[in-house]
Amino acid sequence: MTAAVKSPAWPGATLINPQALMSIRNLELRARVVVDGFWSGLHRSPYHGFSVEFTEYRPYTPGDDPRYLDWRLFARSDRYFIKKFEDETNLRCHLLADNSRSMTYGSLSYTKAQYANTLAATLAYFLYLQGDAVGVLTFDEQIRDYLPARHRAGHLRHLMLALEKPAGGRATDLAAPLQRIVEMVRKRGLMLLISDFLAPIDSLEKNLISLAASGHEVVLFHLLDPAELTFNFSQAAMFRDLESGRDLFIDPAAARKEYLRKLEAHSAAVRATSQKLGISYHRLATDQPLELALFDFLRQRVQRGRKAKRVGRYAVRGRP
Amino acid sequence: MSFLAPLFLLGALAVALPVIFHLIRRTTRERTVFSSLMFLWPTPPRLTRRSRLEHILLLLLRCAVLCLLAFGFARPFIKTATPGDPSSGPGKRVVVLLDTSASMRRGNVWPEARSQAEAMVRKAAPADQVAVFTFGQPVTRLVTFDQWNATPAGERAALVARRLAEVSPAWSATHLGNALVSAAEALEDPDSPSFLGRRQIVLISDLQEGSRLGPLQAYEWPKNVELILGPVKARRPTNAGLQLVADADEADKRPADSGLRVRVSNASDSKREQFQVGWARPEGRGFVGTATDVYVPPGQSRVVPAPAPPTNASVDRLVLQGDDEDFDNAVFVVPPETARANVLYWGRDSEKDTKQPLYFLQRAFQQTRRQTVQVIARGPNAPLLPTEGESAALIVVTDPLPEPQVNGLRRLLSGGQTILFVMKSPESAPTLAALLEVNRLAVEEARTGGYAMLGEIDFRHPLFAPFADPRFSDFTKIHFWKYRRLDAAAIPGARLLAKFDSGDAAFLEVPVGKGRLLVLTSGWHPDDSQLALSSKFVPLLYSILEQTGGVAPAPAQYFVGDTVPLRSLTGPTNLTLTVRTPDGRPVQLAQGETNFSQTLAPGIYTVTSAQPPQRFAVNLEAAESRTAPLPADELERLGAPVRHLAPDGVNPPGRPTRLQNAELENRQKLWRWLIVAAMVVLLAESWLAGWLARRSTTQTEATL
Repeated sequence: MTAAVKSPAWPGATLINPQALMSIRNLELRARVVVDGFWSGLHRSPYHGFSVEFTEYRPYTPGDDPRYLDWRLFARSDRYFIKKFEDETNLRCHLLADNSRSMTYGSLSYTKAQYANTLAATLAYFLYLQGDAVGVLTFDEQIRDYLPARHRAGHLRHLMLALEKPAGGRATDLAAPLQRIVEMVRKRGLMLLISDFLAPIDSLEKNLISLAASGHEVVLFHLLDPAELTFNFSQAAMFRDLESGRDLFIDPAAARKEYLRKLEAHSAAVRATSQKLGISYHRLATDQPLELALFDFLRQRVQRGRKAKRVGRYAVRGRP
Repeated sequence: MSFLAPLFLLGALAVALPVIFHLIRRTTRERTVFSSLMFLWPTPPRLTRRSRLEHILLLLLRCAVLCLLAFGFARPFIKTATPGDPSSGPGKRVVVLLDTSASMRRGNVWPEARSQAEAMVRKAAPADQVAVFTFGQPVTRLVTFDQWNATPAGERAALVARRLAEVSPAWSATHLGNALVSAAEALEDPDSPSFLGRRQIVLISDLQEGSRLGPLQAYEWPKNVELILGPVKARRPTNAGLQLVADADEADKRPADSGLRVRVSNASDSKREQFQVGWARPEGRGFVGTATDVYVPPGQSRVVPAPAPPTNASVDRLVLQGDDEDFDNAVFVVPPETARANVLYWGRDSEKDTKQPLYFLQRAFQQTRRQTVQVIARGPNAPLLPTEGESAALIVVTDPLPEPQVNGLRRLLSGGQTILFVMKSPESAPTLAALLEVNRLAVEEARTGGYAMLGEIDFRHPLFAPFADPRFSDFTKIHFWKYRRLDAAAIPGARLLAKFDSGDAAFLEVPVGKGRLLVLTSGWHPDDSQLALSSKFVPLLYSILEQTGGVAPAPAQYFVGDTVPLRSLTGPTNLTLTVRTPDGRPVQLAQGETNFSQTLAPGIYTVTSAQPPQRFAVNLEAAESRTAPLPADELERLGAPVRHLAPDGVNPPGRPTRLQNAELENRQKLWRWLIVAAMVVLLAESWLAGWLARRSTTQTEATL
């Protein structure tokens, strides 16, 4: 059912063709296919996973929750110690999926929104498997669906349902949704923002600043359709803007060069803004296998983790 | 291939429309959705790429329809010379009309006109037929079409140049209308009425304001004759002319007083306004005696009294000085001489008797400066002297005459004399019968029952012609108390000039031999009628005298080209007349001819054969002095299709044999086939368009 392709970037790795993946109708199944394959491939990876970081032991005092007593230490030392982690809960991760009208564009057999939702589902599934609390926020020019970050049975199912809703918005307006999520999510966590970022760079930068300033770790997934990346249309035609409905007569042969230049400038501006704000930035073409996105994400996380370890005081405890 | 209406070919430019429509349809139908146009700008439609044209065949068919229609509407035809019809050749018939009127004597005008005519002839194609006419008052055919055709093509220009060298401007007026009509008629060659080439009149003239265009008004200009103007302009426009104003014929004028008035007219484009008028000698320049200063603004005229002629010098002309051109600056004047005429009255009455006709007759003929009429009264029995009878301008008989006198009068009558017979009483009937050479004439006193009036007058007769005007034709105020009834039908050849209201004859004219007898059946004395007291009496007597040649009809001014009736100068004569022209050349007229028509130049002409020699002056026509250019549209207004000659004298390309082309096109009718072809292509286009539409619909349904 799924066709495997060899990625030239990772020799030996067998990746799933997104075309084939997208033919799976069930979003959860798609996520599962990706993550399961990824897990099996991960064993060959030189990296190890991450976990919630242990911070310290402290002596037990009456009133502490006896669940967090370290019984092994008690066995060794006959003293009660409370095992303290950096966060008492798991990683709180929010997936912010852009469902604006521009995301409904797709030159392949699926749209950017479908790809984005699959990516979100994959990440959610992956994180859920890790035991992290995962929340979802879908938005266009306003918030459409919001599921707070939780890790409980049945939550994943709700996530998948929320992500499966078709995109119906109009413009890409990050301001209102990001403002809202900053207000709603007080606890610091991980924000995975999946969008095509087809909005003026000025407003984009302002919104990202407010998100980053609230203490969240932010990762951007910049999704672009291959047609958007190459603008490989052959015939002059009336082009209709999906968001504004505006019609323009465009001769691709004449407009391509200028378009590509502007697109690259926009991407570079988004990337530069991300770097400036300490935000991870990943640009994905929708014909790229999802594993690569996951892989990039994890690699970046590990790099961050190492950096933190070099600087930090706490040991990393692996989790199964 | 030629076109009758080539402008319609521009319609073929409409082929651009289907091409554009095909391109536009192609570009607007394609629609593509795209995520965001924020990196895109509109590009102008590029329509020139052939690869974007679809349905090329359909496009070609539509273009073909438009081209065929445009082509058809342009009325194409193929030029083919019809064999055996020489008139269909490219040649044209041209009449070059060259003005030789007096105004052409101005400075540069004549040489320029001649060179223009010569250039025109040199440019003529060998197939052209050219005639050269000159005109002033008469039209002279310098080179006719026949002479042109008879001359080899290479020698034609030389022939015309040779003929032109012999011509110089005359003194006549510009009778342009006559000349144009003659030229147009010359172009209508009766030998080849179906001549289809161009017919042109090239008019080379100074086109002066004073040209006479009258005959053109009544002339319907032929449709196929063009008029091409070659105007010649004088370098110095200032010209003033001098004309004699008809002098007043007043008895109280002293002979020494010239009594002459002259009109000085200045051309409207003149640059000067101050002139002098004075007398001059034939040979000398400059004035004799004092000159009068005249101020005339351009375009106006002034009538001024001429200065008195110097008494001690023989002057014959008034001259004008102060303008550029002197062709019209002299007016020739012959001092008026008193004409003498005798009226022989034959009757019993005394000239003192105020109740008798003679008394009124003598008072009717007053002496004037121009003429003296002497009434010589003779008693009925006085002998008739032949010389006296022959020299009399009129013989009036009022009473019965004895037979010798009647015989003498009858001889005079047969010799050409005019006798006015006034029937004072029925007793004069035998005398009248004898004069008329009839046996018996029934005459009786009529009963008027009060009075009679003239009821019917023959105003067509020269005697009554002066009264023909309705203002003068009322004779009803003249009452006739008595008259004699005369049976006019009994007189052979009698013409009734007037009848009484009763229908009886009042005035009769009977030709007898060479002369004629005028019979008045009533008298003009108060016993008979009021005629002598009426205003008609004197004019009627003068009318009779003018008919007999006793007095000159009017103090005529003669202009160049006029025919001068010498009889009014010399009186009745049977001599062969000889006239000496101003240049001293004697012209002898034929026997019995009294009209002199060779007034070719202004000046004093002398009838040398008369005793004493009579002189008359011939002057330039006044209109010739109006040298300002004719208004440009004047000729067009009169119906002549006017074009202007190109500066180099070459005939501009006009409607080249348009009639011929129209006929050719009409014969070939190629446009019909083109319209049929357009219809066929249109049908094919409709079928193809329908088929393509059906196919695309089918394909769309299949893809759905």
